[in-house]
Amino acid sequence: MAKVFVLVEHRRGSIREATFECVTLARELQTAAGLEPAAVVIGSGVAPFAETLAAYLPETIVVDDPSLEHFRFETYAAVLRDLIERETPLLVIAPHSAFGMELVPRLSAELARPCATDCVAVGMDGGALAATRSVYNGKIDERLAFAPAGGYFATVRAGSYAPADPAGTGAIRAHACPAPPAAWRTEHRGYRETAAGAVDITQAPLLLAIGRGIKDAENIPKAQALADRLGAVLACSRPVVDKKWLGKERQVGTSGRTVKPKVYLALGISGAFQHIAGIKGPGVFIAVNRDPKAPVFRAADFGVVEDMFKIIDALAEKLGAK
Amino acid sequence: MEILVCVKRVPDTADAEVALRPDGRGIREEDLAFGINEWDNYAVEEAIRLKEKHGGAVTVATIGPAESEDVLRRCLAMGADDAVMIDEASFRGADPYGIARGLAGLARRKAYDLVLAGALAGDDGYGMTGPVLAGYLGWPHATLVTSIEVEGKKIAVARELEGGLEEILAVELPAVLTIQTGINEPRYVSIMGIRKVRSKDIPVLAPADIGVGAGEVGENANLLRSLGLSTPPAGAEAVMLKGAPAEVAQRILDIVKERGGVA
Ligand SMILES: Cc1cc2nc3c(=O)[nH]c(=O)nc-3n(C[C@H](O)[C@H](O)[C@H](O)COP(=O)(O)OP(=O)(O)OC[C@H]3O[C@@H](n4cnc5c(N)ncnc54)[C@H](O)[C@@H]3O)c2cc1C
Repeated sequence: MAKVFVLVEHRRGSIREATFECVTLARELQTAAGLEPAAVVIGSGVAPFAETLAAYLPETIVVDDPSLEHFRFETYAAVLRDLIERETPLLVIAPHSAFGMELVPRLSAELARPCATDCVAVGMDGGALAATRSVYNGKIDERLAFAPAGGYFATVRAGSYAPADPAGTGAIRAHACPAPPAAWRTEHRGYRETAAGAVDITQAPLLLAIGRGIKDAENIPKAQALADRLGAVLACSRPVVDKKWLGKERQVGTSGRTVKPKVYLALGISGAFQHIAGIKGPGVFIAVNRDPKAPVFRAADFGVVEDMFKIIDALAEKLGAK
Repeated sequence: MEILVCVKRVPDTADAEVALRPDGRGIREEDLAFGINEWDNYAVEEAIRLKEKHGGAVTVATIGPAESEDVLRRCLAMGADDAVMIDEASFRGADPYGIARGLAGLARRKAYDLVLAGALAGDDGYGMTGPVLAGYLGWPHATLVTSIEVEGKKIAVARELEGGLEEILAVELPAVLTIQTGINEPRYVSIMGIRKVRSKDIPVLAPADIGVGAGEVGENANLLRSLGLSTPPAGAEAVMLKGAPAEVAQRILDIVKERGGVA
């Protein structure tokens, strides 16, 4: 029976959550398309990860070799070219993350197996695989089919599927690491932390988060003043950090911090998945945006379609009057 | 250092109304403002900084409609030395594999040390062009790059990972890098600056010039095929708070108090 592989993403000793979202998709495809799911764990000393995955999927394939200690395209691609050619899975899925983005598109080109990246859904359409992607800043959905090929790839957007719960005990099977080439052309030199800073947005019960709608560096003090009056900590989306208007430690999202405040008040943030993925927990999410079609209103509990500066002024006035 | 930067003209859709064309196969472009893809702007700036520090030249290239010339002129005004366009007709509707094939042909025309592209484009968001291009060229690559240090025949780059973490990779040249936003602060382009490069020649290459045969790229050669576009429901989940700003502000404060966010 045709297989669907889940590429297990792990870093510095732990499996990344996005892997279990891909497990959910693989299980759905088992039901919808009769595909047989298998996890693929690549790394050095990764037997414990294989044990973990065995509790989720019927089969786990492990490639364990000292040369695979840190993820690199070259070494992982060499393993996967070999594995995919031997086992011919119909579909290989991975998270659309720094790992998936580095690894999958190029591998798909090298193997001439079409890849749909950043999918919010993958399923069957008239007997063939089809993917749904969210494009144009989340304002349009596109359905994609693959040109007929030996197999396909898909990378999955974070938060598109709920993380799976363990179910049953699967088999674990080792696959040998192929012989290395004469020389590698890339080398892993280590990790570096960038979001360190004096402010900790992860512990605040109330976050006031500003996005590109703040428009100008000149408006930052206004937002900070409102945050102070509210007793909130000021947070932001990525463009505000890219422009150096606020420090990286205040950025919410996949490449910034994950927060779980009691209340998240977002002003002028469009709701890109990389931002939304950083807001967790049972708190309430209020979004203010002047665009009624902004995707942030699909993630928020409460929405306000209004110019954020009017809301900032109105809040400041109410708080001043107290 | 000889650097090729791949750029794309995209519509600004974050802060605009986006509507489907009647045939459902694309969006209405009439009312949208177009400009350089945000990620590409950082890539051009980074290339110019590398040139300023290490010498060499920067060429910017695009595969796109005639209007893309504005984007290339903007890059020239920033400080790129040359610009080149690939005639779009045979690439119309091409998927990222087709675009990468064209760009690979272009990259082979000269001995480039480095090809830069944006980590993704803000319109279709595939994030594929750079790494697929590297695959076609057979060069090493790194995606989501947030810093570049030249070390002779090698470079050391930082790749952005999740949660504020980066990894450092040494990469042999020639290489393909995709650039993440925030790597630098792109310089401002004045109207005067654009005027200065107004008469600079921008050659338009035919597919044959870059080794692409008829029918090898374009919609019929695509590995990814669109089944159609649709509009997702707006704000399906949020409870909308309506009224004058003062009323809405009061509702917000009430919610904050109720939910224990203090205020
Ligand atoms: C690998 C990767 C990692 C990333 N990581 C992160 C991350 O960790 N965090 C993050 O935030 N992003 C991240 N991004 C970027 C993300 O994709 C978006 O580009 C970003 O979140 C957009 O920020 P924004 O919503 O502030 O800006 P935009 O998308 O430009 O939205 C601005 C919004 O403000 C509204 N607006 C403008 N003016 C006003 C006004 N006066 N009043 C009310 N509303 C107004 C507009 O309608 C629009 O909806 C990442 C991207 C990549 C590729």
